[in-house]
Amino acid sequence: MSREIYLEDLLGRVVRTAAGRPVGRIEDVRAEPDGDEYLVREVVLSDLGIRARLFSMAAQLPTLKAIGLARRYRTRIIPWEWLDFSDPSRPQFREGQAREERERGEQAGG
Amino acid sequence: MSKLLKIALGIFTSIGGFLEVGAIATAAEAGASFRFQLIWAVVLGTICVIFLVEMSGRLAALSHHTIKDAMRERFGPRVFMLTLVSDVLVNVLVLAAEIGGMSLALQLVTGIGFRWWALPTGILTWLLLWKGSFGLIENGVSLLGMVALAFLVGAWKLHPDVHEVLAGLALTLPAERPVHYWFTAVSILGAVISPYLFYFYSSGAIEDHWGVDEIGVNRAVATVGMSFGCVLCIAVMIVAALVLQPAGIQPDRFEQLGLLLTGPLGRWGFYLFSATLLVSCLGAALELSLATAYSFAQGLGWNWGESVHPRDAARFSLTYTIMIAVATLLIVLGLDPLKLTLFSMALTSLTLPVVTFPFLVLMNDRDYCGELGNHWIGNTAVIVISLLASLIALVAIPLQLMGG
Amino acid sequence: MIDLGRQVLDQQLVDRNDLNMGKVDGIALELREGRPARVAAILTGGHLLSRRLHPRIERWVRKLTRGLAPSRVQPLRIPWPQVKKIGIDVKVDFAAADAMPWEHWVRDRIVRRIPGA
Repeated sequence: MSREIYLEDLLGRVVRTAAGRPVGRIEDVRAEPDGDEYLVREVVLSDLGIRARLFSMAAQLPTLKAIGLARRYRTRIIPWEWLDFSDPSRPQFREGQAREERERGEQAGG
Repeated sequence: MSKLLKIALGIFTSIGGFLEVGAIATAAEAGASFRFQLIWAVVLGTICVIFLVEMSGRLAALSHHTIKDAMRERFGPRVFMLTLVSDVLVNVLVLAAEIGGMSLALQLVTGIGFRWWALPTGILTWLLLWKGSFGLIENGVSLLGMVALAFLVGAWKLHPDVHEVLAGLALTLPAERPVHYWFTAVSILGAVISPYLFYFYSSGAIEDHWGVDEIGVNRAVATVGMSFGCVLCIAVMIVAALVLQPAGIQPDRFEQLGLLLTGPLGRWGFYLFSATLLVSCLGAALELSLATAYSFAQGLGWNWGESVHPRDAARFSLTYTIMIAVATLLIVLGLDPLKLTLFSMALTSLTLPVVTFPFLVLMNDRDYCGELGNHWIGNTAVIVISLLASLIALVAIPLQLMGG
Repeated sequence: MIDLGRQVLDQQLVDRNDLNMGKVDGIALELREGRPARVAAILTGGHLLSRRLHPRIERWVRKLTRGLAPSRVQPLRIPWPQVKKIGIDVKVDFAAADAMPWEHWVRDRIVRRIPGA
């Protein structure tokens, strides 16, 4: 049994924990070839907040980077399987994964 | 085509694209009202546009994308649409100004009102695109645009005080009419920094299959071409300053512009001025129509190209057709071409950051420009000048509308 | 590993004859029970673009073009195996001529009627 979801509907969506706490925004989705198919492997998450969205563009400009505006913008990569897409407009972490993600994030000093 | 020939052709096309009704009208206005005080605006604008034109060529050569193409890919459809809507609104006004310029040139020579000439000149512009090969037309019209050299001759013959000219390079505050001064400054900036110019340039670079090898040529063409255009523009200002200003003529009546070259060059000057106006506006009108159609095609994935038959690029051809039709209508309806010119140039300045900011992001993106992305000098120059132009426009336009 | 949003979505689609055939407007991902999700297809055309801009824009465009045949055409679906190369653009094993309802409509209804076309 299978169903389809659309990438363009996912991009920009806020990802939450099962309890509803917002964690980040879907920035991109990564896939790799496996035989004849391309399997969806990872999700790239960016920070929340208006500053993060503005700085995502500013981060590209070395001039602005030089004055420190880009420091606020980071992304992290999580495995696709950690997310539950039963409702594509409301992606959320599966049980237990959110804590693991947080711990991993803290370890990385983010 | 040998490299030298390529460079020469590129330079001529750049000069031809530089001087059109916007540059002529704003420079003449500046010269008649403020003598040489606004030369700095032409130079500042030229510096910015040299950077932008060079960048657009480099982007095409390195990423094999045009600016608009890359805009949608990198920023998505929403940002792309925003820039597209802004472009279309400004371009249709500027295109109307160019058609108005051609019509005024013909009115000067024949005495028949410009509104009658709008339809024929609009149809001529359209026909050249519909039936012709763009490359041939562009180069042909640009070469004809060399008639603008008459302004150089005229300026030289009037023996301007060199010290006064050089003094104009520095930003000085006006003794009177500050709103008019800044509005004219902003119009000059908008006339010189025309986004359609470098959008068109990047499309041409893709058509000519530029690669890394063309980076040097690109730099040469951008710098020399734009600089030469800058000198011509300053020449117009000098002529206006020495011919109109002493006579106290404010060129708000268009016929007065016709007098510009009769001072130094007599009867010939009158015809040379009209020819310059006609040809340079035609070149600009062609570029504007194409640039807009390219923007649609490159953002939406249509077929586009220099010598593509209307049959094979139907939506592309329809786009420039509609642009020309709407612009022509504006002049037929009687909008004053001179006022329209000054206003549309100021509007261009206002919307500059919308155009340049995403472009700069592209130019610093490794995926597009690899190791040959922008230097901090280019980034800073463009950011500062665009913001400056926009802020001044934000203040000056409403004030001018209220006062004028 | 490819970034689907950055490297595929909104890229230029090019057919087997190197002709432009629109942009990648959408990508379908197939979720499968017990197996990893896979990239199913590329989508282009239809009202996908206007929907991505804003649902209200999509409604407005549909209303404006109601009654014109190309408006009713569903987005073209290109199964992922037909994607041949992802680089400067996305090359697909497809023929553009079969895929562009608006281009053909404008050509037949408007451009053909103008003399000199």
